[in-house]
Amino acid sequence: MNRVSSNMAHLDAQYHMMLREWKMNQMQNKMGAQTKIKELSDDPLAAAHSTRLKSYMYRMGQYKENIEQIQGNLAFSESRITNFLEVLQRIRELSVQGAHGIYTKQDMQAMAVEVNQLLEQLVSLANSRNGLGNTIFSGYESHMEPFLVMRGRVENSEGDFITALHYRGDIGKNMGEISENTYVEMNLPGNQVFWAENQHIYANVDATGYQVQEDSVIRIDGVVVKLNAGDNIHAVIHKINESPVGVRARLDPVKDSLVLETTTPHELWLEDVDVSSVLQDLGIIQSGKNTPPHNIAGSANVFGGSIFDMVISLRDSLYKGDHEGVNAGIGGMDLSIESITTTLAEIGALDTRLQVTAHRLDYELPEVQKLDSQEVDLDLAQAITELKMLEYTHQAALATSARILRPTLLDFLR
Amino acid sequence: MLSTFSGIEIGKRGVIAHTHGLITVGHNLNNAGVEGYSRQRIEFKASDAIYLPGLNREETPGHIGQGMEVYRIERIRDMLLEGEIVKETGNQGYWESLDKYFQMLGQVYNEPTEHSIRSLMDSFFFAWQELSENPTQMGKREAVLKHSQALIDGIHHGYQRLRSIRDMLEQDVAGTVDQVNTLTRNIAALNEQIQKAKALGDNPNDLMDKRDMRIEELAKLIDITVNYNQDPDELIIYTNGRHLVQGKQYLQFDTLKTEANEGYSLVIWKDTREVEQFRGGKLAALLALRDVEVRAEIQKLDLMTMNFIDLVNAVHRNGYGLNEKTDIDFFKEYPYVLNANGNYDRNGDGTFDSSYIFRIAGKHTLDPQALIGIRGTLTLSGVTGNVTVEYYPTDTVAEVVARINLSGAEISARLDEEGKLSLKGMPAGDFNNPDFVIRHIEDSGEFLVGYAGILNNSGTDGAYDWEQVDAATVLRADGAAFAVAPLAHPAGWIEVNQALVNEPASIASASGINGRAEGPEDGSVALTISDLRYKQVMIGDTLTLDAYFADLVASIGLRGQEASKVHETENLIMKNHKDLREAISGVNIDEELATMIKFQHGYAAAARFITEFDKMLEIIINRMGV
Repeated sequence: MNRVSSNMAHLDAQYHMMLREWKMNQMQNKMGAQTKIKELSDDPLAAAHSTRLKSYMYRMGQYKENIEQIQGNLAFSESRITNFLEVLQRIRELSVQGAHGIYTKQDMQAMAVEVNQLLEQLVSLANSRNGLGNTIFSGYESHMEPFLVMRGRVENSEGDFITALHYRGDIGKNMGEISENTYVEMNLPGNQVFWAENQHIYANVDATGYQVQEDSVIRIDGVVVKLNAGDNIHAVIHKINESPVGVRARLDPVKDSLVLETTTPHELWLEDVDVSSVLQDLGIIQSGKNTPPHNIAGSANVFGGSIFDMVISLRDSLYKGDHEGVNAGIGGMDLSIESITTTLAEIGALDTRLQVTAHRLDYELPEVQKLDSQEVDLDLAQAITELKMLEYTHQAALATSARILRPTLLDFLR
Repeated sequence: MLSTFSGIEIGKRGVIAHTHGLITVGHNLNNAGVEGYSRQRIEFKASDAIYLPGLNREETPGHIGQGMEVYRIERIRDMLLEGEIVKETGNQGYWESLDKYFQMLGQVYNEPTEHSIRSLMDSFFFAWQELSENPTQMGKREAVLKHSQALIDGIHHGYQRLRSIRDMLEQDVAGTVDQVNTLTRNIAALNEQIQKAKALGDNPNDLMDKRDMRIEELAKLIDITVNYNQDPDELIIYTNGRHLVQGKQYLQFDTLKTEANEGYSLVIWKDTREVEQFRGGKLAALLALRDVEVRAEIQKLDLMTMNFIDLVNAVHRNGYGLNEKTDIDFFKEYPYVLNANGNYDRNGDGTFDSSYIFRIAGKHTLDPQALIGIRGTLTLSGVTGNVTVEYYPTDTVAEVVARINLSGAEISARLDEEGKLSLKGMPAGDFNNPDFVIRHIEDSGEFLVGYAGILNNSGTDGAYDWEQVDAATVLRADGAAFAVAPLAHPAGWIEVNQALVNEPASIASASGINGRAEGPEDGSVALTISDLRYKQVMIGDTLTLDAYFADLVASIGLRGQEASKVHETENLIMKNHKDLREAISGVNIDEELATMIKFQHGYAAAARFITEFDKMLEIIINRMGV
């Protein structure tokens, strides 16, 4: 291009000045907002990554809060159970003493009184409520005390004593989320924590020739077992044993009836779901009464009691002055203590797992924050340098523009 | 023998011609800074010399020059460059509008900050988690309601902004059509004036400058090509094959509101009422933005909202509140029609003719890793026409589901919480089809029939088609579940069920067994709802909500970035062209002044010559023979 019009220089100078001012403005805005991404179009992929990272960071923060809450609940439960254990150990001491033949009936009765008091304390521990006013050992039924106390008379004593405890809660375990797709149980149902012996249920109905009528679903301890039409008793037993529930099923050789036995001490929770009547037909559950736990058939034999059952029988033996009974009671207390210590170990393990997860989150959160920062945060040093560069070039350009208004021929003509 | 006054005549011609020259120079100097002005150059030519061969010529040796005169005043403008500029201006106008509106659209989402719909949704889902841990606490329930309201406000706000951008575009379209009409009218009027002037042999330079400016303005608005050379008397402007302006004839555009496009207008020719598609210029950009880009963004928001409502409600309905109430929707659902089978009268003739169903779920529980062992072809409704999806015996269920989602059908598939195959309608690409309605499902084999339990029969007889009343009768009566399509734009009407606001204890947190609720400490339903945040719930063709939000941001950001970069490039191209035009047609003051001096001298010389000749005449008149 050889010819230059007078306007061109002005237009060019204007164009470049505008461009530079626009760039300076952008830079200042970004510095003010501390972000590289003022418009999504500045770096769309980084912005997209950042949305995922930000959501992930939020989730991690929530998981940490969850863990803290669960740990708090757990500490509360643990303190109650530890207390419970201490009381049990005291009762065991008394039972060992009472088994000695040297104590008289009166001495044993005095011990019985103490055991009774300790029993009352055990019950109040089991029925305790947390800071929100909810009971902690009732499963889902947290407005209700887990153990209903039945009172009555005891041989050789005056007044109303605890004669039996019925569990009124359920086996619901509320799940808390501590990490993506990772859940932990938040509560402990009373009929699993405070149980001493494995439960055995012996049905009294002859199961040979029994066939399941239609596709049914039964629930044992909350675990679903599906049965198909035409299954005979052996198929049913096989399916129960293959399922993940902690129960062994077998056929009683004498009566040809179904026997269910737990593998760890807890109360069996059995129900037929919807139209199923399998457990009712097999004589395990009472017909028509489907809601556990007090739905075991009257004709079936149930063995295996809770810790309270152990303590009650021990106390009654002490009142009666029955040395053999007290001796047997020691065995019961040992089972009870073993059950409680197992629970405490499980709680300890859960707490460790929560701590490990919390530590991992503590480590991971700053790492993710760093990634996010790399995507969207402004490198302040770089930004300031660029701004300075723009300022200098701007000044230079303005100075040059001033010279552009150069003299024309007009200045030189008369 | 020459005439007495021929010398004076020659001098006079010189003076007058040079005066014209000076006037032209003065005109150039005055207009140096005026936009669109091209410099004019006066051309002199020598007058016809005498004597031409003929019988009445004088016997004198000739030719004797007769001075000079103005030949013409030429406008210095390169018409080839003009053609280039007209073309590029169209591109520049197109990308300029896109850039401007994409910036606006990008800001609607407020990402990646803590104030976006996504972060409101995070808080919403976390409120459910908090509820699941303490379901007996009324405070947590209130928190769920508050966070729901905040999220709903965020969604409404997003929807309103997108809607108002679309309305803004509509106004812009109408305004631009008016501008185009005004310009074509003006250009035609200028054509007429120029034609008349040219007919008289003149060069109407300033009128032509003005016309060129109008043409450039028009080029920015719509894509045109100009033919300068075909007929020098008649300038023709073409657009899309039609003569927009031809000499003093011109055509006009009009707008036609279309119900299928939600009342937004199409641009039509005023005379033929035919729709015009533009391929460049601001108007094309506005229409593309309004009917493709912004419409798609609104559809995306609706898609997310619709799926969100559907997913939360499905889980919530199966849950039990603290007061053991169940089967309550969390979000109020507004169906398109209040008819259990979704029957609707589409053509307004008084009888039902279509079924508006959004979701169909099968009867059988499927295992995603199971091999299907059957062969067939699915025919599903696509954007235009139908799409086929093949399935083979060696495919797993998960593979067939993925294939459906990638097939381009306007139907999305997933296995829901119970493992049943769930097919959902998606927003429609073509305006004439409604959003979120399943239009066609057909299976030549048994996958949808016996395997998933959706249809009763295979082949065309058993196909589900929306263009019939009670289309749901082809679905398996004993188990396929279906839901009626929602009212348009769920993002606009989403709201929490008032029953829950009045009685927060009804918010479902517990699951149930055998028709009765679990105890109050059970928060499993609340936990399931909160997990929807990162589970594979299939929002259209994105797997999770995370993927949806990331995709939303990336998509608008990339388009915005493209628009911004191309706009910058176009600006640079235009600057180069305009610089070239300025170099050719721009006034250079020094040049003009030099020319002015030339004419001044010429003028002075001619005047001097007259004076000398006058002296000679004076000798003859006053002193010869006295």
